[in-house]
Amino acid sequence: MKNFIIVVIIKIMHIVLKIFGKNGGNLLGKLAYEWNPNIFKYFKIECPIVAVTATNGKTMTNNAIGHIFKTAGKKVISNVEGNNMETGILSTLLKNCTLTGKLNADFLVFEVDEGYVPVVFKDLKLDTLVILDFFRDQLDRNGEVETLILKINDFLKTYNGNLVLNNDDPNVARLGKANPENTNIKYFSVEKYDFATEKIKEAGEGKYCPFCNTELKYEYYQYSHIGKFVCPNCDFGNNKITTLATDIDLKNRSFKVDDITYNIRFNSIYNIYNFTACVCVASIYNIESETIKNALSTFVLNNGRLEEVEINGTPTVINLAKNPTGANVSLRILNEDDEEKELLFVLNDNIADGFDVSWIWDINFDKLNNVSRIITSGKRAYDIAIRIKTSGYPASKIEPYLSLSDAVNSFYSNNIKKYVIANYTSLQPTRKEIFKHK
Amino acid sequence: MKELKILYLYPDLLELYGDYGNIQVLKYRLEKRGFKAIIDKYCINDDAPDFNSYDLVFAGGGADNEQSILSKDLIKYKDDIKKAVQSGVFFLLICGAYQLFGKYYKGVEGNIVNGLAVFDYYTEAIEDRKKRCIGNIVISANLNGKETKVIGFENHGGQTFDINTSFGKVLYGNGNKFGDSQEGFMTENVIATYLHGPLLSKNPEVADYIIKYCLDRKYNENLILEKLDDTFETLCRNQLLEIFKDSQ
Ligand SMILES: [Zn+2]
Repeated sequence: MKNFIIVVIIKIMHIVLKIFGKNGGNLLGKLAYEWNPNIFKYFKIECPIVAVTATNGKTMTNNAIGHIFKTAGKKVISNVEGNNMETGILSTLLKNCTLTGKLNADFLVFEVDEGYVPVVFKDLKLDTLVILDFFRDQLDRNGEVETLILKINDFLKTYNGNLVLNNDDPNVARLGKANPENTNIKYFSVEKYDFATEKIKEAGEGKYCPFCNTELKYEYYQYSHIGKFVCPNCDFGNNKITTLATDIDLKNRSFKVDDITYNIRFNSIYNIYNFTACVCVASIYNIESETIKNALSTFVLNNGRLEEVEINGTPTVINLAKNPTGANVSLRILNEDDEEKELLFVLNDNIADGFDVSWIWDINFDKLNNVSRIITSGKRAYDIAIRIKTSGYPASKIEPYLSLSDAVNSFYSNNIKKYVIANYTSLQPTRKEIFKHK
Repeated sequence: MKELKILYLYPDLLELYGDYGNIQVLKYRLEKRGFKAIIDKYCINDDAPDFNSYDLVFAGGGADNEQSILSKDLIKYKDDIKKAVQSGVFFLLICGAYQLFGKYYKGVEGNIVNGLAVFDYYTEAIEDRKKRCIGNIVISANLNGKETKVIGFENHGGQTFDINTSFGKVLYGNGNKFGDSQEGFMTENVIATYLHGPLLSKNPEVADYIIKYCLDRKYNENLILEKLDDTFETLCRNQLLEIFKDSQ
């Protein structure tokens, strides 16, 4: 089918969907891709494309970069809802292009699933690629993290655009060597924060140097395997840092880059990494630091990514955890907070979550700080209850409920501070249930 | 205080499916009863462990790449391990470790990874890389004369042959091969199985079988283990068995 005709049909469908109040998600892109998998070539894009990929932090960082550009007065097109496979990105392009395939914007900003970077950018010219981290996801427990990294490495061999890499993740920093010709590589890093440890505290990936197999030496771990490392044999990791975050102050929610203080609305080390990447990207496009400051100080994501809400006067922090690292990030914030609190953990095992729930054993529940009660729910409420009990937390303070509404009712029977961790398919149902108590 | 010495093999390499949870469950169930759990870890390049001085040896599953690295290391201890098995040290081997204790593992390209040949079974990878036995699994195992339902999660491409004494009969899921009737390998002091979950987290009876065996052997007695509060485990088992029954 001719691309023009495809675009016309999709446009009509988009209007129809809108009339019925539907967004369509990946649907439009899926159809167009089926009709012509080369349709990406049809688009006429003159502005820079910025893409973010990672295991964790894609949605957060993608939205924050878009927010910075918008604050700078730029017109941004972005897949803000997180449809991040090739069909999702295609949907975003189709909804926003003219009939001739033109996109009128100053920036296209996309989050892209780790597995789809080579597919999406085969025919779209990428200006900046940001890579945040690689963790083991519950879905690829066959050792596929390595396969994924190698795929991206292959793609990068012929890529000459800006490459923004987290120098504190060995699995990301190694990608800086994929194309020795590329002179546009920018490494970012974050200085040691108060709760960094000398020994790894949570399950992590990069233990050995990918170039010479020597065990990597860590000066400190910030969280999981993210930290300051170097290969004692071949010096891998010792890169020139373009953007370095210093003076990490999670209590007052701020950090500095080049002596400029950025105030943020989050209190997690994980977000400092995401925002340091944003500062790096913004500086590539000469966005003034005043603008970045304003943008970051107002940026929030109200979709269960470290979302802070008051429910009937009870402060509540809700976070998505698709993998051990996501859950460990939440528990870090919880443990860094000395106030009394209660935890709700919701665990499903639907297709999108992965049927195997054994990843919860990679979550570090040791020595929870001032947690007076834990409620578990979801289809695997009992599995997570057993997991927490075995870590040494008193069984008498754990209440499992298969019914989410029973769980949330019991959770809000008092006004002690709340922390909520929910996995992928349980996140939105959990939010919905919680907001009923608002 | 009575104590059990546990050797945990290759914690840094065989750690793909949360199998470490098995050690945590054993420790939990020992300590709740006032016993002590001493856990030693062995990694590549560490000093040779004295297998015979342990009550229990544990190893889990890892990625294929890691497994071939450590098989070269483990094979150094082949004779020591055989002796330990013969003298009655308990071995709990999950997934990759299960395979390594057999004669060999034959990869997709026909390459042979030699096993320890402590036991006579062998494993062959299925040709289609994408085909794996993946999913929840329930088997019926005989623990000291009692038929016990054991629940876990299997995720393996390897098909294991020549098992004469299995861990249990498959009630739901695949087992040693696609659509097999038998799962794992078992003798009095060995449980070798594909079951993750981790295995012991949902099967307190298996955990207690191992604990009782090890204590009885070490202290030469016939112990009746104190009952623990297994409310969550019972709820979990009943819920899952109900789901699997419906989808059978
Ligand atoms: Zn090296």
